[in-house]
Amino acid sequence: MKKALVIALLIIAAIPLLIGVAALPPHGDADTPVQTHVSARYLEKGVEEARTVNIVTAVILNYRGIDTNGEVTVIFTALAASFAVLLPAAMARRAASAESDEAPPVSMVVLFVTRLLAPFIALFALYVMLHGHSSPGGGFQGGAILGGLFVALSIVLGAEKVEPLLKSPFAPWLRIAAPLAFVAMGVFGALLTGFYLGFPQQEALRWASEAMVLIIEIGIGVGGAMIFATLFAEMEAQ
Amino acid sequence: MLAALWNNVDYVASVVLFLIGLYIIIAKNNLIKKFLGLNIMETAIFSFIVALGVIDRGTPPVMGPDAQPPYTSPVPQALILTGIVVAVSTTALALSLVIRIYQQRGTIEADELREME
Repeated sequence: MKKALVIALLIIAAIPLLIGVAALPPHGDADTPVQTHVSARYLEKGVEEARTVNIVTAVILNYRGIDTNGEVTVIFTALAASFAVLLPAAMARRAASAESDEAPPVSMVVLFVTRLLAPFIALFALYVMLHGHSSPGGGFQGGAILGGLFVALSIVLGAEKVEPLLKSPFAPWLRIAAPLAFVAMGVFGALLTGFYLGFPQQEALRWASEAMVLIIEIGIGVGGAMIFATLFAEMEAQ
Repeated sequence: MLAALWNNVDYVASVVLFLIGLYIIIAKNNLIKKFLGLNIMETAIFSFIVALGVIDRGTPPVMGPDAQPPYTSPVPQALILTGIVVAVSTTALALSLVIRIYQQRGTIEADELREME
């Protein structure tokens, strides 16, 4: 009975979606609104105005920079909310019992391969992070790779190997690195051009524009990686 | 109608993915499975919007020395890049809440939780 109701609901939901999809312009068409309005303008003027060869980075950091600024604040807020939900129980547990959990035994092959690949993964993450303005990549992608490396290391080598990083006095600053870098560069742009997150257009200030993009990318990458690692460690400790 | 659907088969795939996610959210009892369903729905939306920006024989919008038009539209990709990060944030918060519910009640099955009230 319940199953029949669910399937009926799915069919009712499917009909308007399929009708809407059938009415869209054909896939891959060059004259759709997605291709003709702002996209065309960004593709035409992006390199000249934003000084980044990768137009996706130009849209994220330059044309829609304030949007991304709010969005890095969202992931920091998610970390803070997750802390608020999980910390009271974790503190009670820590007070009640001294640590007794040990890392579960891991196969030799997994251990060896993870240790062998870790430096290369870290290097690739840095490359993706720093090369985002001129090739596919950027802060979010590099940060996700670096965060994945931290998660893999804490699964394979045990959480205590990653703990020094997460407990260091710099850790809170690294966690908030993405919003901090954004706000700092926004104010820097305001000093140069008069607008928050304004990227200077003059040829003489080209270096400033490029440096701002680079610093924001590094901030997003490091901050994102730290937030992923912290979220994982916090959930694993429960 | 069918011909139009076949032309837009990439969008139909997103619709199917969306319905799978919706089915999981409604039919499954386990809270973690429900959030996995939510993630599948999010993936459906992301793939739909990215597919909207695709252009026939398009190249990535990276204006290197050997770049050649037509370019894939950069705007959907940029929007979805930020959308993915927000999806990660909501998933992290949801999983934290699931952990807390399990600690408090000892179960994450929705019907058992409902009976406890």
